[in-house]
Amino acid sequence: MKQRWEIGVAIFGTLLLVWSHYTGLFVAPPEAMMGDVGRILYAHVPTAWVGLLTYLVAFVAAIGALATGKAAWDAMVEATVEVGLLLNVLLLIQGSLWAKPTWGVYWTWDPRLTTCAIMVVAFGVVLAIRRQIDEPMRRLTLSSVATIIAFVNVPIVYMSVKWWKTLHQPYSSPETVDSAMVTPLRVAAFGMLFLSTGFVVRRWRIARTALERDFDAPDLPAESAPLAVEDSP
Amino acid sequence: MTGMIQGGWEFVWLVYGITWGGLIGYGIRLAREDAGL
Repeated sequence: MKQRWEIGVAIFGTLLLVWSHYTGLFVAPPEAMMGDVGRILYAHVPTAWVGLLTYLVAFVAAIGALATGKAAWDAMVEATVEVGLLLNVLLLIQGSLWAKPTWGVYWTWDPRLTTCAIMVVAFGVVLAIRRQIDEPMRRLTLSSVATIIAFVNVPIVYMSVKWWKTLHQPYSSPETVDSAMVTPLRVAAFGMLFLSTGFVVRRWRIARTALERDFDAPDLPAESAPLAVEDSP
Repeated sequence: MTGMIQGGWEFVWLVYGITWGGLIGYGIRLAREDAGL
């Protein structure tokens, strides 16, 4: 029987997101400086938090895949990199649309934005490697190594607002955000976390089924199969 | 409140539209993949 608990988790996450986005858009007060544009916060910040967390899981899965050579870990690399990349692309689009009314431009080569763009390219390379290589162990090894290399940039993204002078605002905390904004922000973060968990687990199951088939397939050269058929009586 | 940015709802709607579009689109893609389509 197919296990489907992750669908329930994803639906619960979606409900939390609907509530928090509704509250953020129509109930919470406008941000003191940015006005209504500040409402982008409830979509942008959870996407960033959960995106970085997803990449952290990808990093752990890549180490697991290299250490064990198992399809289950390899499938987790595929699932987390794919979902992380989805959130990462959404993050860049959200950020650009927030930048225009607040900074006056859609894009600037600011340290936070630049490191985020590098993150998309680096994890995009991981997925490209996975699509290009058919041999399962070679794919596992190269894409896991690429994931580990790509992950080096993730703490740099997180710390970029502290290490460099940047247009991007520094970390927010409940002390720096009005209490009427904290609740929808927290609920949105949990909503995004649950929805993304549902996505990752479902993607992992799909990938694991396909990869286990790949790993179990006999490692014969392509030309030996027709020969075997021809030789048989 | 002096200096607060006025308006800008079009950017807010674009962000939420694209975010939900991306999440729902990915969910549909996963469901189709799961169904073998």
